[in-house]
Amino acid sequence: MAQKIDVFAKKLTDEVRHSVHNASSLKTMSRVDALWRDFEDPDAMRILAGELKQHVIENLDTYLPQAEAALQKNGVKVYWATDAQEACQTVLDIMVKNNCKRMVKSKTMVSEEIELVHFLEKHGMESLETDLGEFIVQIDHDHPSHIVTPIIHKNRRQVAESFQREGIGEYNETPEVIVAQARKFLRDKYFKADVGLTGANFLSAESGRIVLNTNEGNSRFCLAAPRIHIALVGIEKIVPTDKDLSILLNLLARSATGQKLTVYTEFIKGAKLATRPEGPEEMHLVFIDNGRTKVLASECREILRCIRCGACLNVCPVYRQASGHAYRSVYPGPVGAVLSPLLAQDDFPEMADLPKASSLCGACHEVCPVNIPIPDLLLRLRDRAKREKIKTDGSPPMEPFAMLASHPLVWKTAMQAGKALDFLPVSSVPGGPVKAWTTVRDLPQWKGGSFRSWIKKRQKNRRSEEKP
Amino acid sequence: MSSRDLILNSVKAALAPLPQRAAHPGYDKLKIVSKNFSPQQDLWVSFQENFSKVHGMSFTTFVELKNFLLSQKSRLGYCDPALTDVFAALNPELTFETAFDRNKESEYSFGITRATGAIAETGSLIFEDATTSSRLGSLAPWIHIACVKRGDLIDTIPTALSRISDDPNIIWVTGPSKTADIEGILVEGAHGPGIQICFLLP
Amino acid sequence: MHLDHRPFPKDKKVMLMHTCLCDAFFDDVAKATVEVLEYLGCDIEWPENQTCCGQPAFNSGDWASSRQVVRHAVKVFEGQKPVVIPSGSCAAMMFHGALLQFEKENDYDKVEALANRSWELSDYIFNALNIKKWPGKLNAKIAFHRSCHSRGTPSGQASQSLLESIEGIKVAAFGEEEQCCGFGGTFSVTFPFVSSQMGHQKLDMIEKSHPDFLVSGDMGCLLHLGGIIDKDKIKLPIRHISQVLRDSLKNGGLL
Repeated sequence: MAQKIDVFAKKLTDEVRHSVHNASSLKTMSRVDALWRDFEDPDAMRILAGELKQHVIENLDTYLPQAEAALQKNGVKVYWATDAQEACQTVLDIMVKNNCKRMVKSKTMVSEEIELVHFLEKHGMESLETDLGEFIVQIDHDHPSHIVTPIIHKNRRQVAESFQREGIGEYNETPEVIVAQARKFLRDKYFKADVGLTGANFLSAESGRIVLNTNEGNSRFCLAAPRIHIALVGIEKIVPTDKDLSILLNLLARSATGQKLTVYTEFIKGAKLATRPEGPEEMHLVFIDNGRTKVLASECREILRCIRCGACLNVCPVYRQASGHAYRSVYPGPVGAVLSPLLAQDDFPEMADLPKASSLCGACHEVCPVNIPIPDLLLRLRDRAKREKIKTDGSPPMEPFAMLASHPLVWKTAMQAGKALDFLPVSSVPGGPVKAWTTVRDLPQWKGGSFRSWIKKRQKNRRSEEKP
Repeated sequence: MSSRDLILNSVKAALAPLPQRAAHPGYDKLKIVSKNFSPQQDLWVSFQENFSKVHGMSFTTFVELKNFLLSQKSRLGYCDPALTDVFAALNPELTFETAFDRNKESEYSFGITRATGAIAETGSLIFEDATTSSRLGSLAPWIHIACVKRGDLIDTIPTALSRISDDPNIIWVTGPSKTADIEGILVEGAHGPGIQICFLLP
Repeated sequence: MHLDHRPFPKDKKVMLMHTCLCDAFFDDVAKATVEVLEYLGCDIEWPENQTCCGQPAFNSGDWASSRQVVRHAVKVFEGQKPVVIPSGSCAAMMFHGALLQFEKENDYDKVEALANRSWELSDYIFNALNIKKWPGKLNAKIAFHRSCHSRGTPSGQASQSLLESIEGIKVAAFGEEEQCCGFGGTFSVTFPFVSSQMGHQKLDMIEKSHPDFLVSGDMGCLLHLGGIIDKDKIKLPIRHISQVLRDSLKNGGLL
């Protein structure tokens, strides 16, 4: 029985598969070009950045209070949310307290994780995405399929149709026109909004600054037009000092799209200066746990190093075939295959098939700017699923194989007799693995026992030659 | 127990079994500066090269700037009140407003504000709240002109970070706004300026 | 994978792990490995009670079953000699995978000792024996598929260099070389569609460079790609690196 993600991949239209594949391939090449053009040893940088982030997560008990103190010194109001519900409620409370009704939000994956927009709308608040891709996802009641380029699965015709349907503009497939229509539509929304919501790519524990990396100008608008700023920050986003930002900023955009830096790198320390006409009068920051401390306690804590560049998605052959929606989660691809089952906490069994969606090729590890050993983490999660006796469809039982492979006489006999095929793992996948194999590929001729008799003979001849 | 305490306690408990904590890897800043950046080259020359690579435009004379704006059919724009005298050469064909009026937003074809510096290594302009007279003036119009002085040019990212000020809103602007969300096709001019200019003040 | 700490062998006495796939299907690959090592002057000890490295169970997440198999391997390969393995993935299982699943086990040290003696074939030849130019000759344009388990190890570079050094051999580049072939062990049957797509795409890329044959250091990759080649009747013979090395010697009159 094929796994869920494989079934999903098979159902994709060729068009979507090609869009995803081509975009991913292009970004993968851009990454390589940018890194090797600009640096002597990009792999050494990745390893260094990985050590830096590992240091942070293993010292969060020091860095979190340090960051909080720095933020408070800057006049930022700090909140802590243990889970999604609390995070959403916190944001709502801030809005209500400040008589806010309308929010414009910059792109932040953590807001999707906690399903903030849905919550706010249920409570009578308006919350509008401003990143073009996320905006289109919102008007289509869809889900993003990539953490950096959310509508990689859509084409221009679909977007033009959506824009016409929602009254954003006359049907026009030209990308420049679509973007201009979105620009015009959102302008007005920014000016009418009370609160701008952002995430944070990084948070400096030293200065309390958050860093935002964007290209469109929407996050700048969220912080120029409305009067309140709310930032949502996963507790793992910390960087020790401002100096440390240089290595991560050099790796982030190049890993994601091949750019040296995103067009806008914003360092936000607090509300606007009193003398300035525009900008937030108050800045609020919500630290979000929502399962991260559980990940920290697990044997997969390295995944918390992730800086959300998307390079692993771009290079992953499974992602390229299946696309982001196959992963049924906010975080797809290799990072998602580790993070999503863990963040699911008690619902781990529901997501336990994600770590299996990998041939363990290791390309993700190779491109990760913080050197996360993703294949090892996937293996640990497979081990966990087995120990917790979670039935993920199609997992072949390995006990017969282990029995065979630890009893050499049985093994040798089976090899000789050609029966081993029945014992090798390939055979124990329900639904006929040999059949599953042979629908796609032929099997070579069975040669069980052939090498063994050859080498035995050869070594016997050697020994008799050596005798005096 | 507050959520803060719950979270911090969970963090402590999660890290308790570790026999030791991973150390901060210290590093030499040279390893993380672009190998193409030549420290000997004039900073303005380096900045211009890298700024143009990200489709930024640079001008050093008022004549060039004026001609360019006129070619873009500009008429009215926002200008930092402290710069109206400096840019008087653009008048009378081009006129300024020194208070950004949201209701007239669509009429401003350009915005002129100050940059506090620029990073040569990446071709990035540095904006700060203290010296940006209007956030919207630097963001909303299609064309933005950022003025920078030669003495405020910085060589690399590590230098820029080592000198970063306490300003609440510092932005490194590396070209015009853009998006590739539609089929991966690059479109310049999303929510921010579609044309980003750097003007080197005399 | 940190392999720099492996001690360099002092002599040419080795043990051979011939792998389960050679046991079942690729007998000639194991034979070629023996012929090549003996040509180089190696004294091969072949423990006849060897079975498998335990990787299939490890990858499936059944670490208890896998440990059972690894423990058998530890017993069978007891000693000090380097263990030479004509398979990137089996070697990686010994020096990386096994260590992960024995982290909490009392016999970790024994497994680590074996890990520190495990060598993929071309890594052993190129680095341990320091053979930088392969003798003999073979006129052929080949596509070399570096298997994923060689990532981060010296094997990929070692194989490529050895092949390129053979007189008459031209190693052709092809597109998207870093992409996996789609075997992945049981992945090939639990993700049949994706695995098939990956295999076909890999072969499409390879065919564009018009090689005489496809070479790899891993039987898993060859089983999968070779199987598609056979089924789709593609004209592209497959070879393991050990066979190319042996054939080069034979062709050069050295074997």
